[in-house]
Amino acid sequence: MLAIEIKGLTKRFGDFTAVDSIRFDVPKGSIFGFLGPNGSGKTTCIRMLCGLLEPTAGTATVNGFDIIRQPEEIKRTIGYLNQAFSLYRDLTVEENLNFFGGIYGLKGERLNRRRAEVIDLVGLGSYLQRRSGQLSGGWKQRLALAASLIHEPELVFLDEPTAGIDPVARRELWDLLFDLAGQGKTLFVTTHYMDEAERCNEIAYIYLSRLMVHGTPAELKVLPAVTPTGTKRVAVASSHPAQALSLLKRQGFALDATLVEAEIHLLMPVDVIDSEVIDALHNAGMPDASVRPMDPSLEDVFVTLTRSLANR
Amino acid sequence: MKSAIYGFRSIVAKEWLHIQRDSTTLVFALIVPLLQLILFGYAIDFNVKHVPAAVVNMDGSPASLNYLRQLENTQYLDVVGSLSTPQEAEEALRRNTVQVAIIIPPDFGQRFNTNRPPEVKVLEDGSDSQISAAASYAFLTKPSKSQPGAVDARINVLFNPQARTQIFTIPGLVCVLLQLTTVSLTSFSLVREREQGTLEQLMVSPVGRLGLMLGKVTPYLVLGMTEMAAILFMGWLIFNVSVAGSLILLMVLAVPFVLAALSLGLFISTVAQSQAQAMQMTMLTTMPSILLSGYIVPRETLPGPLYLVSDVLPVTHFIGICRGIVVRGATLPDILPHLYSLLVITLVLITASTLRFQKSVG
Repeated sequence: MLAIEIKGLTKRFGDFTAVDSIRFDVPKGSIFGFLGPNGSGKTTCIRMLCGLLEPTAGTATVNGFDIIRQPEEIKRTIGYLNQAFSLYRDLTVEENLNFFGGIYGLKGERLNRRRAEVIDLVGLGSYLQRRSGQLSGGWKQRLALAASLIHEPELVFLDEPTAGIDPVARRELWDLLFDLAGQGKTLFVTTHYMDEAERCNEIAYIYLSRLMVHGTPAELKVLPAVTPTGTKRVAVASSHPAQALSLLKRQGFALDATLVEAEIHLLMPVDVIDSEVIDALHNAGMPDASVRPMDPSLEDVFVTLTRSLANR
Repeated sequence: MKSAIYGFRSIVAKEWLHIQRDSTTLVFALIVPLLQLILFGYAIDFNVKHVPAAVVNMDGSPASLNYLRQLENTQYLDVVGSLSTPQEAEEALRRNTVQVAIIIPPDFGQRFNTNRPPEVKVLEDGSDSQISAAASYAFLTKPSKSQPGAVDARINVLFNPQARTQIFTIPGLVCVLLQLTTVSLTSFSLVREREQGTLEQLMVSPVGRLGLMLGKVTPYLVLGMTEMAAILFMGWLIFNVSVAGSLILLMVLAVPFVLAALSLGLFISTVAQSQAQAMQMTMLTTMPSILLSGYIVPRETLPGPLYLVSDVLPVTHFIGICRGIVVRGATLPDILPHLYSLLVITLVLITASTLRFQKSVG
């Protein structure tokens, strides 16, 4: 079963093509990561999927409804969590939930039950009478999530849900998302955090208005374009990683090098043997270097793909 | 000394960029006052002329026609129609189709140029004391005593015969205050949602555009009506202005007025991109509402294009309704045109807001 089916979706604003013939499917019950640099067309795409914006060409179905002909049906069956806190700051937690329940047609016993359920889910129980503007960042996002879930949507769009909240709150929010996915909800998430991308079941990456790749994180990492034929990826450990990085970058064999958690991720031709790397560092006064083969990270995937397209 | 102004140049450069980026603010800040100066400097002419008058000529003699022509030559009066009975004349004044009625008796021609000069009865609408004062000039200037052909014009001011200023100003003030309050009530509402990001949240919900618009207007309608009742009560309590006509009719007709004013605020809300802009646009409606609505300056003095501008303002029509009912005791048929205007304004603004709103979200 598909939650979203995107068929050649295109949106032009005058001469500018914001979304260019994008085509992919989102399976039901998955956490789907929608990635891409700022300005690549993510928000425009989500707006079309939510029925806010009519596509210039192509179409899509969301929860089985056509985005052009049935936007109102879509709106009833989706939740939407914005990156900016978009609830009423001057209303209390409870009043916000009542309002959002109300505009989705919930009332009486059903509203009370759903409100209790989402409060329980996000753990907002002790803040019911608090003005939402006075909540901390993490709690605000939990409230926003609760509000976006109150009408029991099948599918929730989360546009950078963790932007600007602290790591603990970020982890807790993701734990909630896993719970929701476990209940069969589809989560369509945009993020710039690579560790969040790793947590998604599937990823679509768009760049310059076009879909570049789509697949599971594991599938993306073994794409030929990411580690071109004749090259390999190694991780170099050193006690002076920053100095080692600048040294390695000057070596002829370094096709790409970056520093991740005190290790240097290095892309180099397959015929360069590990000892050449170690020798180079050794000669520069860093005797404790070690080299091990590695798979590309998702960051490597996106950086490589983006650069190769930009260079074209 | 140097450290105190450190960074001054950078700040100036940055602010200049802000100003360039936000040209709307610049336009409002610089051009609008100029426009308003020209507009109102041109419009505000306390020298009332060409007051519309009706004639009941029961004589029809050449002398009577000549007399009327001389009255018109003063520029203070324009004869816009003729009626057959004094009762019709009084009715026309109450309906506000004319503000002066000249009743020429059957013996006008007979008594003209005799030592028993003819007596002409003049009815004036006193609800706007500036207008009745101006109209009176026409009869004062004509003709001088030494000349033959004197006419004894007996002026009878209907409605507000003591020419009490408050009778004239309070109903207008009620309307102006009510519009200013109601327009600003709604003008911030949508913009605030846009700025806070809540608008987007509403747009992905099943809430309809019209539902949103009407939902925003309705609570303020209640506030506006309460305000209306309070202002009227204060006007009666402090200034002793009581309602000559039906108070219930006045309150009922206040509903379309408040709706129209709220719709104006709502429309501003769909145009403005920020709360600051909404504030500026609300201010923009303030001056015309005071100066062009007939509140201070009689609308009769407005040049053609501005007369049309004043027709678009809800407050103009409610001043017409309010003065009619409070001062002249007008009834519903007398003020129907104003009611229709208010309904049209509301309908147009709500429709325009709903349509504009769709565009602004995409």
